[in-house]
Amino acid sequence: MAILDTVGRYSIQQVEYVGLLAIQFWHGARLLVRINPFSGRRLRWRRAIGQMAEIGVRALPVVCLISGATGLILALQSGAELRRFGAMEVVINLVGTTMTRELGPLVAALVVIGRSGSAISAEVATMVVTEEIDALRTMAIDPIDFVLVPKSAAMLVMLPSLTVLAVFSGILAGGLFTYFTLDMTIAMYLRRTAEILLMRDIVSGLVKAVVFGTIIVHVGCLEGFLVTGGPEGVGRSTTSAVVKSIFLVVLADLICTGFFYFFWR
Amino acid sequence: MSETKLASGDRRYPHEAGAEPVISVRGLQVRYGDRQVLDGVDLDIYRGETMVILGASGCGKSTLLRHLEGLEKPAAGSICIHGTDIVTASRKEMERIRRLLGVSFQSAAMFNSMTVGDNVALPLREHTDLAESTIRLITRMKLQQVGLSGVEDLYPTELSGGMRKRASLARALAMDPEILLFDEPSAGLDPIIAAGIDRLILRLKDAFKMTLIVVTHELQSAFLIADRMCMLDQAKILAVGTVKQILANPHPRIQQFVQRIADDAAPGSQSYVTGFE
Repeated sequence: MAILDTVGRYSIQQVEYVGLLAIQFWHGARLLVRINPFSGRRLRWRRAIGQMAEIGVRALPVVCLISGATGLILALQSGAELRRFGAMEVVINLVGTTMTRELGPLVAALVVIGRSGSAISAEVATMVVTEEIDALRTMAIDPIDFVLVPKSAAMLVMLPSLTVLAVFSGILAGGLFTYFTLDMTIAMYLRRTAEILLMRDIVSGLVKAVVFGTIIVHVGCLEGFLVTGGPEGVGRSTTSAVVKSIFLVVLADLICTGFFYFFWR
Repeated sequence: MSETKLASGDRRYPHEAGAEPVISVRGLQVRYGDRQVLDGVDLDIYRGETMVILGASGCGKSTLLRHLEGLEKPAAGSICIHGTDIVTASRKEMERIRRLLGVSFQSAAMFNSMTVGDNVALPLREHTDLAESTIRLITRMKLQQVGLSGVEDLYPTELSGGMRKRASLARALAMDPEILLFDEPSAGLDPIIAAGIDRLILRLKDAFKMTLIVVTHELQSAFLIADRMCMLDQAKILAVGTVKQILANPHPRIQQFVQRIADDAAPGSQSYVTGFE
């Protein structure tokens, strides 16, 4: 009975967490449209731009470096196998499609989780602990509107942008490989890649980036809002935000990939 | 000023003028898990009075304040502010009520990512369509009212604890609230700075005729600023009355509190020290 009790309690906790995430998402999504730079609130938009620099611009070097290394590794590993069949040129297809559909979005998301997902939850948790969130509520300012929405807007702009650059640097690194092994110029390599890539590949990569960005912001904020137990709770919520974000991003990746595999060939 | 108030005794307090209460709490029940934090609290607070909520640490006084601010929902009971029950109020009504309230938090709760000026201007920028120049003017004025000037462009972390508290008070005053709620105004401050905050509270009270609700366990400060006091102990209200009435109240727990007697030395309590006699 004790096992049943534990399993039941754990399941309820998880369902509750998903429920909270859904409520927060719906609430945030409704407020998000009000932030647009044309008719929206200037103050929110300014905060969003600050967040964009933090989430996107500063993550750029790391994202490009890791994604480039991933592209090169992919080319080397597949090249070693494909050489035996004399099909070295397939490396171009492989690097191009895999980076665009899968590894570009994933690498960008993982870097952003490490840099910004943790920072978001730490910031929100600190605001809860120091009563800043309470202060917002007593000033009749919605914490979701004030804290989550600018971050959400910044993430929705920046993660797809980072993804594009991650894909590009991954493919470029693959070109380095073909340059030395196939005597192919970079320009020719890029032209071949462009021929291979379908709109479907690019769209699926960008859809993933949008989904991942949403997950990272919402999990980061929710972990922050749910902090308990003072300053030492902040560290716990940060760890938990990173772990949960990685898990949910990979899960979402699987679901998206499955969806595109079966419904859009 | 406070001494004349204590001595004269015939000062007319706002609650005696036959006024309607601004805030009225009825049968407030709050539980955290199995722990009863507030048990059937009834309290009326009248326009223009300063109500000090006194009590030992953990007696539920901060919880009471958080419920008055609408930050938490009680298990049962009602809290009426200007006739609107904030327990059952809709989002819209709650927003209207919140504009009447100014809150100064124990930890000051300044936004560290913004300058002091932006902190004070925040409610104005969020809730009004005032021009930026007007907002700046109001911000400077509010900061001057709390005795801070020339700090608009500093960040909260660059201020001392007392200055931060003053700045958070300026932010609470930004929207010209009718009711000002203080959580431990002098917590973590040295006696001189704390006395300064008390003076500031008294000045605000005289200048704006605001209704003030102050939660504290600092007796000196409480006696100085209070019109009436409410003594909370173990989730219940022991007594409500003027400073004189509270001081004269024979309840052992109140006497123990106002005379600062430790638990095991209090009259009537079973203590191992007396056990030796």
